Amino acid sequence: MKRFLPVLGFLLALAGTGVATSSSPARSPSQGDGKIAASKRPPQTPPTFEKDIRPILKAHCFDCHGESGQPKGGFDIRLRRLIVQGGHDGPAIIPGNPDASHLLQLVASGEMPKRDKKLTPEQVALLRQWIATGARTARPEPTELPPGAGITEEERAFWSFQPIHPPKPASPSRLRHTRTPIDSLLDRPLRKQGLRFSPDADKVTLLRRIHFDLTGLPPTPADVDTFLKDRSSNAYEKAVDRLLDSPHYGERWGRHWLDIAGYADSDGYSDADPVRPFAWKYRDYVIRAFNEDKPFDRFITEQLAGDELARAHSANASEVALTSAEQRELLIATGFLRTGADGTATAAVDQAVVRNQVVADTLKIVSTSLLGLTVGCAQCHDHRYDPIPQADYFRLRAVFEPAYDWKNWRTPDQRLVSLYTAENRKNAAAIEAEAATLATEREARQKTYIAEALTKHLEKFEAPLRDQLRTALDTAADKRSPEQKRLLADNPSVNIHPGVLYQYNPKAADDLKAMDAKVAEIRARKPPEDFISILTEAHDKVPVTFLLHRGDPNQPRDPIAPGTLSVIGPGGSQLTIPPKDPELASTGRRLAFARWLTSGTNPLVARVLVNRVWMHHFGRGLVGTPADFGTMGERPSHPELLDWLAHDFMANGWKLKRLHRLILTSSVYRQSSAHHRKGDTKDPENRLYWRKPLQRLDAEVLRDSILAASGSLRTNLFGPPVPVRPDVHGQIVVGVDQTQGDNKMPVDVPLNGEEFRRSVYIQVRRSQPLAMLHAFDAPVMEVNCERRPQSTVATQALMLMNSGFLLDQSARFARRLEAEAGTDPARQIHAAWHLAFNRKPTPTELTDASAFLQAQASHLRANAPAVEPTKPDPKAKPAPPPPTPEHQALTSLCQSLLGSNEFLYVD
Amino acid sequence: MSLPSGNSSNARRLLRTRRDFLARNAMGVGSVALAWLLKQDRLLATPANVPRQALSFDMKARTPPRPPQARAMISLFMHGGPSHIDLFDPKPELTRRSGQDYAGEITFSFVDRASKKLMGSPWEFRRYGASGTPVSELLPHFASIVDDVTVIRSMHTDINGHEPSIWYMNTGKAQPGRPALGSWLTYGLGSESQDLPAYVVLTDPGGHPVDGVRNWSNGFMPPLFQGTVVRSAEPRILNLDPPPHLKGALQEQNLAFLARLNREHLARHPGESDLEARIASYELAARMQTAAKEALDITGESEATRKLYGLDDPITREYGTRCLIARRLVERGVRFVQLFVNGQIWDNHESIRPNLASCCRKTDQPSAALVKDLKARGLLDSTIVHWGGEIGRLPVTENHGPAEKAGRDHNGQGFTAWVAGGGFKGGMTYGETDEFGHKAVVNPVSPNDYHATLLHLFGIDHADLRFFQNGLEQHLTDGKPCRVVKEILRHA
Repeated sequence: MKRFLPVLGFLLALAGTGVATSSSPARSPSQGDGKIAASKRPPQTPPTFEKDIRPILKAHCFDCHGESGQPKGGFDIRLRRLIVQGGHDGPAIIPGNPDASHLLQLVASGEMPKRDKKLTPEQVALLRQWIATGARTARPEPTELPPGAGITEEERAFWSFQPIHPPKPASPSRLRHTRTPIDSLLDRPLRKQGLRFSPDADKVTLLRRIHFDLTGLPPTPADVDTFLKDRSSNAYEKAVDRLLDSPHYGERWGRHWLDIAGYADSDGYSDADPVRPFAWKYRDYVIRAFNEDKPFDRFITEQLAGDELARAHSANASEVALTSAEQRELLIATGFLRTGADGTATAAVDQAVVRNQVVADTLKIVSTSLLGLTVGCAQCHDHRYDPIPQADYFRLRAVFEPAYDWKNWRTPDQRLVSLYTAENRKNAAAIEAEAATLATEREARQKTYIAEALTKHLEKFEAPLRDQLRTALDTAADKRSPEQKRLLADNPSVNIHPGVLYQYNPKAADDLKAMDAKVAEIRARKPPEDFISILTEAHDKVPVTFLLHRGDPNQPRDPIAPGTLSVIGPGGSQLTIPPKDPELASTGRRLAFARWLTSGTNPLVARVLVNRVWMHHFGRGLVGTPADFGTMGERPSHPELLDWLAHDFMANGWKLKRLHRLILTSSVYRQSSAHHRKGDTKDPENRLYWRKPLQRLDAEVLRDSILAASGSLRTNLFGPPVPVRPDVHGQIVVGVDQTQGDNKMPVDVPLNGEEFRRSVYIQVRRSQPLAMLHAFDAPVMEVNCERRPQSTVATQALMLMNSGFLLDQSARFARRLEAEAGTDPARQIHAAWHLAFNRKPTPTELTDASAFLQAQASHLRANAPAVEPTKPDPKAKPAPPPPTPEHQALTSLCQSLLGSNEFLYVD
Repeated sequence: MSLPSGNSSNARRLLRTRRDFLARNAMGVGSVALAWLLKQDRLLATPANVPRQALSFDMKARTPPRPPQARAMISLFMHGGPSHIDLFDPKPELTRRSGQDYAGEITFSFVDRASKKLMGSPWEFRRYGASGTPVSELLPHFASIVDDVTVIRSMHTDINGHEPSIWYMNTGKAQPGRPALGSWLTYGLGSESQDLPAYVVLTDPGGHPVDGVRNWSNGFMPPLFQGTVVRSAEPRILNLDPPPHLKGALQEQNLAFLARLNREHLARHPGESDLEARIASYELAARMQTAAKEALDITGESEATRKLYGLDDPITREYGTRCLIARRLVERGVRFVQLFVNGQIWDNHESIRPNLASCCRKTDQPSAALVKDLKARGLLDSTIVHWGGEIGRLPVTENHGPAEKAGRDHNGQGFTAWVAGGGFKGGMTYGETDEFGHKAVVNPVSPNDYHATLLHLFGIDHADLRFFQNGLEQHLTDGKPCRVVKEILRHA
């Protein structure tokens, strides 16, 4: 690491443009202080090829010089001896003599690499130094080189590929305010800086913190009362347990998982963004799994291979789904592999491209969520930075290709599995027969229409040509002579097919449309059919996976057998996965892959998972790049803690609730969020956790908390999503998308309280993100979301000041206060503070708020608009009485509370 | 929460004065945005704990690595496919062989009306300006600005469909879901105005363009970088104003009360920059209400200006008003403004004679006025104006029976766009299509080349402007081979 830091210093100096004057490089505590200073000097020990030079060459040169095909210029750059040997132009370097080294001249002048990205001056300097010091290697080079970039010992030694080595934490101690092994592991680096944990936050703050963290909802005033009255020493632990048992826990933590799983209720890709009507069953499965504390190894296995656990393949999936609720649940779990955008049902797209995209996106979701690696980079060539050869990418792909066979593709609809019983099926068949009769008639009529259109169209052509065209058309496509083919190509308009019939005979097209409607009408009489959307394999065909040259589906190369990542395997051998498990109806590849992930020896999975949990509790992971544990990602701030957590998690049954309990009962979590001078000086970014960071509510939590405060929140669980629609201004709001009239005015369809359900149940339409959630950084699922950004922008303020949602909720909040606290302003204010902030107002706040209510009410009275007398319309519903000045004033007060920092942030 | 990087305890000191604070953060506030990541290849530079990409983003103006020639851009997006061979790219050979069959391969979108009959332009071209740039008689106003304009005659997307070509032109890739050009620019450069949205979209009162709101989507970037729609009718900006019964004094009272609550809360949380940022965002929102109203109010513009933009003519009034507003916005520091037209007016499959003429009538005078006005105010040197669509049209007839109903089908192989100001050369014509205007054959310019060139003028190398999505490095130019078209730049 050390010797690359000069570059870092430079980088940060420039990166600092965003923050005015500061140019001192960030110092990370775990890095220690000396390194930055040391970095200004050249490395003490001579650089070696493997450690210092090869990574540069791999990123910039391997692609043309050795990794694939014939090396350009006959020059293979993958080993030191090959570099010395050189290519057609002779030796590329002369060890000990940089000035005579051709390679150095080429990269220094920018002539090489040919691509845009040139070597940095620092990299050139390093190369020069390496040559000058004799072009050393760390060890004798291998005599043979496998194809591709290969994996070196240095790469294999990277921290995240190492087995998990849990440290033995010191016993927690009362003196040091360390309650759990987590605290003990954080304690030492803190003390090194002369810091220690801050004292515990007060009881109400703690209660709010765990409520938001575990359930995404604020505590009710009654919750606070109970907790304050509980004087037992384990009152806090009991509260944590109560919340872990709450059904709302699954809604909150399920939502976190849905982010990284890329969940959406629509197919995306095209402008139409078709709704995915059954995706929500997977969402409910996730919520249930979290609530049941399903062991995570099992959870992973079900999501990757639920169909294989249930011994289903595509032809019998429906049967399996009907055997029992458990079997059905296993199939629904595979919805994890069906979350990606899927444009393959869209006509007029390049199928090779979109199918490839579905598979690539799915692999991306699997690898970022479970492996914390961006294997996608290896689709076209060996990964530039991480030791992931291109073959590894296709080994992984071979695990999924029997289910995602892009030559025998199934569209989203074809992946639905019916939950019809035999009885249902019989009824439906009878109705279908009726529909089919009509449909056959329609087909016949369409043929006639096309024939007629053609005859009519041909009349437009002159005599000999007309007959030639007719003859050519009557000849079967594969029997046409070259002249006939040319003739048809030169006259494209005679190629009439159903898709363009409307362009020739609109009436015929309308007639066919009417018949389609009639067919649909008959079919609509069938008993309602429920479906689940799952991933299964076709049992008859197992496709051969090929390595695609440059990732191009049209350039298949060698066949590739299923397997895993080479870099993790012992001694460079990746685990091969049997192409077919004889015990199963399907190939069993995904099941074997899941077992490899959850075997307990995989160094990545558990680290990645506990890091995500930590990130959600503290706003930042121990590894700051939760989906990239590779060389381009960040290094862990507390590697020992990460390993201890990962080990403990696996050793104790992969139980998430246990992990939460461990974290939440630690001193580090219970600390106050207050700043102090010492901490701010020594560790301004709080990387050492000397205080609990303040966190803004996530988008969903904010919306749900507003609903909770106003008393409108519906807390029923599960079910089809609550729809969204554009409102009259084009803003996406909750509602049924129905319009009337030529100007397409939205019609209000009553939702009967569904509009007040928790945000996790709001439809996730990729093209229509709910404005309120989108503004507060809820992801729009292009693929998946590894980590949400946090923005603080004026549009959010405008949303809180003026949006219909906030205005309506504020009025409801006010009505609730009037109902619960009566008309006395002081009592209303008290109730409002308890509902919004879980505390009573301070005397100043009480005075301020009372004055505000009074001032606003009198302003309203003084400026009341004159009421115009209107003729009562006997048919009209009686208009609601206009709000009283007092009610309007209280509404304004409520809106201020809902938009305040105390409401938006958790201590 | 904030994740500052590259700063240290200095940062805290910087927060001391409110003024500093507001100067540093504004519309979007948070901490350091490592918005774009510099020339260095970061392969070996990524150290242990420095965040790859900031978690919080802002709109603070950022200084690009090289001195920029352009500060702002206005894109007059003419989606639908303006017929380049009837407007900018005269083809004598096509006129000469009008009515004969075209010998080459053609991809049609509408086969029923497809024909291979060449159709020469029915309009006259003449040379204008000191540069002698040929312009069709349909664009008399454009003819008066040619010496300030570079006409690129060799644009190509190689795709005939509208949507994929629009995605390509606007996001760098012929696939949906990526951030638009305006998102990339504001992500990389922030905004010089903190009282106005950095990226404004002026939609047509007649309706959205094809593909609707996705045309100004932030894609995988934070919503901060989404285009803000300014509508032609109230509410001009969504959520900008309260409902009438809360306007004025009432909302002021509310905000004053809220500010008091927040100040007391901040007093209990000293040192929390996020809370200060939130307070500032409310103040900015309030300022935006005034600033946006002022920017959109054209009543103060002189009679001469109004006439220049054609506000006195019912046919040009609407588009002219939006062009004028675009000028007012960049004058006030907005980074990127894009104008759309309703539906696909340039999609002249049928009756191209009257239809193309009417598109030109609506847009020609206002577009030219914008360039003239910017120039007169000394803003053209630092403002790029772009005029163009996503495709062009075919040299052959699209057959609709009678000759006067003839039109032209889609052509993604070659079309024309023009650019002016911000470092582009004036009075220049660049690139060529073949003798029929079908394919770009000399110095072809892809959307990626075009974007790389724009970024270059803004002082950024396209390969350096990156955003990390799920650990993958993303670029506006999508990693495709492309180049800065230096030949059309004043200072290459």
